[in-house]
Amino acid sequence: MKIETTLSGSFPKLPLEPGAPNVRVIRNRMDQGKATEKDLADATRETTRRIVALQESAGVDIPVGGQVAWDDAQTYLARGVPGFTIAGLIRYLDTNTYYRQPEITGPVSWTRPVTVEDFKTAQSMAHRPLKAVLPGPYSLYRFSRDRHYKDPKEALHAVGEAVSREAKALEDQGATWIHFEEPWLGRARAEDAPLVKAALEPLFRGRKAKTVLHVPFRSPRPVFGAIRDLGWNVLGLDFVEAPESWDLLPEVPAGRTVGLGLVDARNTKLEDPARIAEGVRKARSMRSDLSWQLCPTASLEYLPVDRAAMKVARLTEAARLASSNGG
Amino acid sequence: MPRGLWTTTVGSFPKPPHLEKARNQFARGEISADDLKKLERDATIEVIRSQEEIGLDILVDGELYRGDMTTYFAELMDGFEISNPVRSYGNRYYRKPVATGRVRRTKPWTVEWWKFAQSQTKKPIKGMLTGPYTMMDWSFNEHYSSREALAMDLAEAIREEAMELAEAGAQFIQVDEPAVSVRPEELKLAVRALGRAVEGVKAKTITHICYGDFDLIYPALLDLPVDMIDLEMANSRYDLLDRFKQHRFTKEIGYGVLDVHSHRIETKEEIKQGILRGLEHLKPEQMYIDPDCGLKTRTVEEAREKLAVMVAAVREVREERGITA
Repeated sequence: MKIETTLSGSFPKLPLEPGAPNVRVIRNRMDQGKATEKDLADATRETTRRIVALQESAGVDIPVGGQVAWDDAQTYLARGVPGFTIAGLIRYLDTNTYYRQPEITGPVSWTRPVTVEDFKTAQSMAHRPLKAVLPGPYSLYRFSRDRHYKDPKEALHAVGEAVSREAKALEDQGATWIHFEEPWLGRARAEDAPLVKAALEPLFRGRKAKTVLHVPFRSPRPVFGAIRDLGWNVLGLDFVEAPESWDLLPEVPAGRTVGLGLVDARNTKLEDPARIAEGVRKARSMRSDLSWQLCPTASLEYLPVDRAAMKVARLTEAARLASSNGG
Repeated sequence: MPRGLWTTTVGSFPKPPHLEKARNQFARGEISADDLKKLERDATIEVIRSQEEIGLDILVDGELYRGDMTTYFAELMDGFEISNPVRSYGNRYYRKPVATGRVRRTKPWTVEWWKFAQSQTKKPIKGMLTGPYTMMDWSFNEHYSSREALAMDLAEAIREEAMELAEAGAQFIQVDEPAVSVRPEELKLAVRALGRAVEGVKAKTITHICYGDFDLIYPALLDLPVDMIDLEMANSRYDLLDRFKQHRFTKEIGYGVLDVHSHRIETKEEIKQGILRGLEHLKPEQMYIDPDCGLKTRTVEEAREKLAVMVAAVREVREERGITA
C-alpha cells in the first residue's frame, strides 16, 4: 500500500540558488524605501511557486503552500479575526523562534476569510491538491493572552468557532485537505481535556475536506481521550522528540490515518531513508487496521533551506521504500 | 542612606550603518580583517563614550564585533560548523551552530575585546558570554548522543573564558541563558551547566533570561547559581512582580524597563512607575535598572534616547527615595 507524504506548515523562504526572488532581501529593501509592496507581493508569489515546485519534484503527495507571507505560526490568522490584537514579541515554545503574542481584547468572532486568497494563489501553481494549514484553536488560545473572557472554555469555544469558519471558507474555495497545527496539545494536562474538546470539536463538524490534526514536539497523551474520537482523518504525531507517541498507536480508532512524524524538523542531521522506512514497518506491525502518512515532525522552517530540501527528498525516498517493501 | 538602582545594559548595542556596511563588505572579501577590526574598535570607543555621556554605571563593550550571540562563539570553537540562515521571526534570520564534533575552546573569545573596552573607561565593563544551556539549545546537534553531554562540554569551554576574563580584571561577568525559560523540565541541567561555567570565577556573576513563560520556571529560576538574574520586565508589563509577591525574589535583579523591540521611546514617567512598582517587592540594593534585552535591533539614535530616558527616570527615583548609587 502506498504511503502518502506531506509537510506541516511553513517552509524556509530563502532560495537555494543565489539571485532567485528573495522575500528577505525585498523586505530589507522595503525598510530602506527601495522596494514596494508590489515587489514584496511578486517575491512572495515566486517563493511560493518555488516551494510548491520543490515538493512536487521531490514527489510529495500532499504539498503545502509554505506560509510565505506569515511572520510566525499564528499572528497571520489572528490579525484578521476581530477580538484579537497583536502585542509584544515572545519566544515560541523551546524553538528559539519568536512570535508576536496575540491578545484577546474582545469577543472573538470570524467575519471574513484571512488565508483563502493565499491558498488560492498557491493552489493555482500546483499540479495536485494542496493542503491548507491553520493554527489549531487550542494552541492559538494558549499562545495568546486572554484579557477578555472570564471563562477559558467560553474563550476556547469562540476561538474554535473562528478557526472552524476559516476552515469552512477554505473548503468553499476548493481546499480538499485542511491541517490544524496543535503544538500545545503536547503540553496540555489531563484536567485540560474539557477545554481541548471545547476548542477542537467545531473543527470537524460537517467538514467536507479531509482534516489533519498535527501535534509536534510532544505526545498529547494526557488529553488523548479528548481528541481520540473527534472527526479528524489524520492524526499527526512526533515520533522523534516524543518517542512515547508510539504508545498512543494501540488506542487510535480503527480505520483512521496516522501521520508518522519520523523526519526530524529540528535537527540538520539527515536521516537514512531506510531507517525511516523501518519506522513505517514498525507502525504497520503494530496496527494493520490503520493507514499511514509520512511527514516531518513539524514545520521545516526550523531548518536552513538546503537541509529542508534534503529532508523532503529523504522523506519521499523513505515513503517509496516503505511502499515497495511494506505491501 | 540606601544604595542601589545602578544602571546598566544587557549587552549588545546597535551597529552603526557604516559598520554594518563594512561587515557586509568583509563578507564579500572587499575589505580586510584588519580594516574591519579598526572600524569595530572605533565604533566600540564610540559606544563606550555614549554610555558614559548618558551616565550609565556599569558599561558593556556593545558587542559590535559579534553577529549572533551563539554563532559568534561557535565560529571560534572546534567542533562547530555554521548552518545557512534560519528564520527566527518575521524577516530576521541567523546562522545556527551545528555541533559536528567534540566542542572545545582553543583560544580566547572575548578577552582581548574586554581589555580594549576597559582601557577606554574608568567605569566597570561587563564580560559578556552566552551560557552553555543556551549554546546547546540553540545549536543543531549532529554529534552528541545527549543534550546534556553537549551542554556540559560547552560549560567547560565557557568556564575557561570566564576565568580568563576574571583574571583580566572583569568585576562583572554575565553568562546569558535566555533558553532556560522555555524547557522547565531541563532547568536542573541548565543549573548544573551554568554552575560549572561560573565555578570558581572571582567576579559578580549574572545571567540574563528573557521572553519565556516564567510561570513555568519561577521560583525554581532562583536556583541558577549566579549573583544576579537579569529579567525583562517591561515587555511583560511587569507581570513578573505578581510572582515576586507570592515568592520573594532573593537574588540581585537586572530589572528591564525598556521594550527593546519597540521603536517607541518610553516616557520617563512610565519607567519611573515601573521602577516604583519594583520597589514594592525588591530592595533598591537588589536592583540594577536596564533594558529588557540587548539593544542591537534598535537604531543608534533609538538606543541612545531610550537609555537617556531610563537614566533620567532612575535619577528622579533615587532623588525622591533618597537612594544613592
